[in-house]
Amino acid sequence: LFPMSLSCPDHPYVHLIEDHRAGDVICPECGRVVGDRLVDVGTEWRSFSNERSGTDPSRVGAPENPLMGASDLSTSIAVGFGSSDGDQSLANAQRRSSNNSDRQMSQGMQHIREMSDRIHLTRTIQDRAALLFRQMLDGKTLRGKNIAAQAASCLYVACRQEGVPRTLKEIIAVAGCSPREVNKCVKLIIRSSENSFQLITSEDFMSRFCGNLDLPHQVQRAATHIARVAKERDLVAGRSPISIAAAAIYMASQASGTKKTAKEVGEITGAAEVTVKQTYRLLRPEAVHLFPENFNFDTPVDQLPPS
Amino acid sequence: FRMNSPASHLGSGLGGDTPSHHHGLGGPNSILGGGPSSVLNSHLSGGPGSVMGMGLMSNHGPGSVLGPGSILGPSSILGPSSLNMGGSQMMSNSGSGLLHSQQGPSSVQQYSSGAGGASERGPASNLNLNINPGSVMNMGGGPGSVFHDLNPGSVGPSNLAVPMTPLAGDMLDRYHGTQALSHSAIPTHALPSTPASALDIPSPTLQNIVSTVNLGVQLDLKKIALHARNAEYNPKRFAAVIMRIREPRTTALIFSSGKMVCTGAKSEEASRLAARKYARIVQKLGFPAKFTEFKVQNMVGSCDVRFPIQLEGLCITHGQFSTYEPELFPGLIYRMVKPRVVLLIFVSGKVVITGAKFKKEIDDAFSQIYPILKGFKK
Repeated sequence: LFPMSLSCPDHPYVHLIEDHRAGDVICPECGRVVGDRLVDVGTEWRSFSNERSGTDPSRVGAPENPLMGASDLSTSIAVGFGSSDGDQSLANAQRRSSNNSDRQMSQGMQHIREMSDRIHLTRTIQDRAALLFRQMLDGKTLRGKNIAAQAASCLYVACRQEGVPRTLKEIIAVAGCSPREVNKCVKLIIRSSENSFQLITSEDFMSRFCGNLDLPHQVQRAATHIARVAKERDLVAGRSPISIAAAAIYMASQASGTKKTAKEVGEITGAAEVTVKQTYRLLRPEAVHLFPENFNFDTPVDQLPPS
Repeated sequence: FRMNSPASHLGSGLGGDTPSHHHGLGGPNSILGGGPSSVLNSHLSGGPGSVMGMGLMSNHGPGSVLGPGSILGPSSILGPSSLNMGGSQMMSNSGSGLLHSQQGPSSVQQYSSGAGGASERGPASNLNLNINPGSVMNMGGGPGSVFHDLNPGSVGPSNLAVPMTPLAGDMLDRYHGTQALSHSAIPTHALPSTPASALDIPSPTLQNIVSTVNLGVQLDLKKIALHARNAEYNPKRFAAVIMRIREPRTTALIFSSGKMVCTGAKSEEASRLAARKYARIVQKLGFPAKFTEFKVQNMVGSCDVRFPIQLEGLCITHGQFSTYEPELFPGLIYRMVKPRVVLLIFVSGKVVITGAKFKKEIDDAFSQIYPILKGFKK
């Protein structure tokens, strides 16, 4: 009933507050310090960034990372600027004898961080990708595949899971390995995971693509509408959602003041220029119905390019 | 390497019953001349129809002389089952083919390949005229069946599944007499042939069969590549000889251990026949090749349901079986549990079924998926 069998004499039934920093147990009603000299679980030293001390007196390291090497609490040799050859060789020796999966994990983490930085992915996605990577490593699903490909596929799936999918082409662009390997790894991951993934839709990519093309918000809205109606009317059966998005953006931009060529749209979306044109040709006949009602036509519908 | 092995051609009785062959054929010896006559003839009986078709059947009973046209007549009405006819044609060739491939222009094999119908079997082809498509498939022994243990002795209507040419003479007369028999009198038990045409459900056609066989002897690939025609061998790229034959159109990978993979055939019998041909080629090159452990490893079939399909809906409802990633592959990959096959389903309505070891699995899989697909018709 009473924390640590203590109670304030004036307020016996009040829940006491523990102040770990000062090591006190305080009554919130009257401020009386009821218990004192509790063990302080704060840090021993606080090191400030502008302190130019030679060594950091803190004797503890970073918090435990559950993904990497959670099992062992081993010490690793730190190599800094002033390290001698002895330190280096010690560190090399340790690296050589380290556990393979941990080494792979750290390699994979490095790849993931690198890739995410290049396309500005949030920490959440990176962590999820790292978790996925750990799972794949433990389950040996991606056995034998290029580490970069493994990392890239985990990143792709993580983006999917977070609801902000990135096209495979975007991931492959920063991956640094062959697209085939990445494709294979993605397929393996999807196969091995029980929960099915949300199908990608054109809408997921609209804001990013339009932003990269510097298209005004109205055009983006129109493109979204076009893609949606085209899907409903089944004009583009069997086309990848990326191609549909690209064609919708092309159509919307051609109807507005900011015209983008199919080549530009293709470059940003990752779809080939001919694919954009092909899909656009499927949409063109029904262009009148595809645009939203209050769209500001810079070029009227009938003057849209035929292909 | 026994040419007469029962499994190698339709109607094992054909292979085994040399005496009865002579009976029915009225002296095939005379037709084909000498050589390994008895062996030849036994094979010929496997293809009396083919001999017939060649115009050498002047000494045969009237009933059995069905020119290619008449034979093909009924066969032509067999839509999807025509494939089986092709298969059955292959089957008869299986006995005759290997030998005859060495024969020359007058080889029985050529004719059969040309006719592409139930041309081989005398009495059987008679029967074809009377029998509905479903039972004609029986003539092929049914899809997927391998003519293993057909005993020559069992002749009679109940064994129509077996092209029982051995007792050709008797059967000819018998069937002549019973030409007027309606098909109902002829049991079609051997093939569970659903009246597919009646229900208008399409049935899958086989597109590719991959099989393996063990020739049982170490091979010198260089020698094979040097002496055989249509063989390519590039040890730096791949450690096997790649050999091709035109009839049935197949490709074989022959390894130095004596194991061989045969791909590209359109039916199990064709695959077996082709494998035998390859074995024969290797044998002729001087290696004591045997024909052991023939096994069909994979069968691929395709079909068209003829209506567009909503893949997204299918993926959502059958999520634990389906994988649909438009970025990776435009079709939905459906991994069926029983039978264990993989189906590729496309928006256009085309379905590809692969991973089966028997034609029955392909048919089962398709019959299971068809109602599901109908539910997702666009």
